[in-house]
Amino acid sequence: MSSAAPTIASNSDTDKPMLAVRALFCERDDRVLFKNLDFDLAPGQVLQVQGSNGSGKTTLMRILCGLNDGYEGSIKWYGQEIEEQAASFFSSLLYIGHRVGVSKVLTPVENLRWSCSLKQAVSDEQIMAALKEVGLRGFEESPCYTLSAGQQQRVSLARLLISPASLWVLDEPFTTLDKKGVAQLEGILQRQAQAGGSVMVTTHHNLDIPELSVLSLG
Amino acid sequence: MWVWFSKLGSPKWFYELSGKWLPWLIAAMVIFMTIGLVWGLLFLPPDYQQGFTSRILIVHVAVAGTSLAFFPLMFVAGTITLVWRMKLADMVAKNAAILGAWFSFITLATGSLWGSVMWGTWWEWTDSRLVSMLFQLFLLLGVISLRSALEDSDTAAKACALLSIVGCINVVIIKYSVEWWNTLHQVSSPVTTDASSPNGPEFWIATLIMIVAVYLFLSVSLILSTRNEILERERRSQWVQDLVLKS
Amino acid sequence: MTEKQTTTSAAFWATLKRDLLIAFKKKNDIVNPFMFFIIVVSLFPIGISPESDRLTEIAAGVIWISVLLASMLSMDNLYRSDFEDGSLEQLLLSPHPLFFLVLAKNISHWLVSGLPVVLVAPLLAYMLALPEEAYGTLILSLLLGTPIMSLLGSIAVALTVGLGSRGLILAVITLPMSVPILIFGTLAVQSTLNSQSPAGYLSLMLVMLSVSVSLAPLASAAALKISVN
Repeated sequence: MSSAAPTIASNSDTDKPMLAVRALFCERDDRVLFKNLDFDLAPGQVLQVQGSNGSGKTTLMRILCGLNDGYEGSIKWYGQEIEEQAASFFSSLLYIGHRVGVSKVLTPVENLRWSCSLKQAVSDEQIMAALKEVGLRGFEESPCYTLSAGQQQRVSLARLLISPASLWVLDEPFTTLDKKGVAQLEGILQRQAQAGGSVMVTTHHNLDIPELSVLSLG
Repeated sequence: MWVWFSKLGSPKWFYELSGKWLPWLIAAMVIFMTIGLVWGLLFLPPDYQQGFTSRILIVHVAVAGTSLAFFPLMFVAGTITLVWRMKLADMVAKNAAILGAWFSFITLATGSLWGSVMWGTWWEWTDSRLVSMLFQLFLLLGVISLRSALEDSDTAAKACALLSIVGCINVVIIKYSVEWWNTLHQVSSPVTTDASSPNGPEFWIATLIMIVAVYLFLSVSLILSTRNEILERERRSQWVQDLVLKS
Repeated sequence: MTEKQTTTSAAFWATLKRDLLIAFKKKNDIVNPFMFFIIVVSLFPIGISPESDRLTEIAAGVIWISVLLASMLSMDNLYRSDFEDGSLEQLLLSPHPLFFLVLAKNISHWLVSGLPVVLVAPLLAYMLALPEEAYGTLILSLLLGTPIMSLLGSIAVALTVGLGSRGLILAVITLPMSVPILIFGTLAVQSTLNSQSPAGYLSLMLVMLSVSVSLAPLASAAALKISVN
């Protein structure tokens, strides 16, 4: 049995964690992914989850979002289990997974109109401004199947600019981005942290963000 | 109550307890089965209308009655799986689906055997019980094939639990709608109530014994297959490995 | 961080609009089940008999069974692309009750796959020599029955959305469930042909529809959560 010994290097110390994970245990296909995983996430913190392939990074992210309920332990959002307050937790959560949630037949604008309106009211001006900022100006009305993988990723990242969510859970958001895109996303994450939000992100990049702390999975 | 309930959910506890019960259940099953079969099939006086074919009916009625218990059983197991995430309930549900399909099949087989003598045909669409049993078989096969298609056992457990709950509600609706459908197509039916219920108290006593025997058989096979399932799924746990080393 | 959260009805309409938009952009998904329906119905007279007397007898059953098959085939589009591109995860993470969002998807699916079939049914009924007086009942029964199929099928699709090849398993799960609809749909038409009132059957179908509308989206939502797990 492989024991995952989580280590957390934190550089921010706040008394009230927005997210408190205690004794998290997850087993998949008779293999223990992690056990006794404890960590807190405070406002203004960017937590990078690291680990080798198959160490359960994606599973952890999905568990934290409430997409995967195959775990034992407690995940508290401002002191209350996330399962008990799904609606209010979901409205402060923004998740972008491996599958970025961009429909290929729709245009970037149509995609954002829907995915943003699941959470908050959004105007077309906001959407246009966000698309412009992520460098998709001129592509607003082209179907997403004509866009490259990196551009589709950018469509999903435009949601970060629109969303007021205080917790971002991003699974490998850097993979298809070019250098400029990586730098820009780092800036966006930093802005979120400075505004009092927090971010959980998996990536193999060495992030250049002062608010960063690292969680290593076995 | 809750201690008892969570204990029941522990596969180990179930394995030990069922091990104690099993010999008694098997003994009871053998006794009832022997009485039912020997008396019912060999010594029961032939029915004045149906002759010796009424003996097939004893087995058929017992198996058919038991077949009706599977969807309610899977409904309960499915609810427990979804609400309390009890793994044991899923193990029972998995085997109940397979056993249920066999029971439904045997019901259809004995029913058409009896029908071939009484009605002169192996299959009769105007008998609503046979038709709804056929669709129950289809629904059970659907649950079984869903389980075999889903790779992740946790997903399979919950998906089958949900499908069993939907299926159970559906099977009730199917039963009543098929009955209704049938009453409107009774024009040239050879199925009459006289012919399907033989008289005589001996017949009913024999059927009753047979029903008890078949229910015992169901319990024994369900417990045995669940025990197998427990050993397979818990093969990595300490107590199963100790058990294997001992034997 | 003070922006307004959308109301559930806004999320409902946004989802409905989006799904209709996708359907109109992927016309194949609408056209193919529709063509399938027409072709299957056309095969029956060739396989059974061109005599109008015999066709009259089987017309209602043929149309109903073809509708069931067509609606089952069209079901596959309901959640698959959303599952593959990750939109389904976004749907599940919405703070709004999943019941309404799933209902929006089911309604949109019915509008593009169920409704066209209902509208073309009189034409096919004519080709199958169904007497004119039964057209009204046929359309009404289809109007009540096809949404039930969409709602029930949605549960099965949601359960199998993670599977690679699911065409046949979907049929194995959904078709037996559609027996009651088939029974009442065809009985309604038959009773009109026998100059009896179909009101009883139609109201039973209405009851089944209202029960399905209120319960099936819950089951679909639960099934989606299970599949995306």
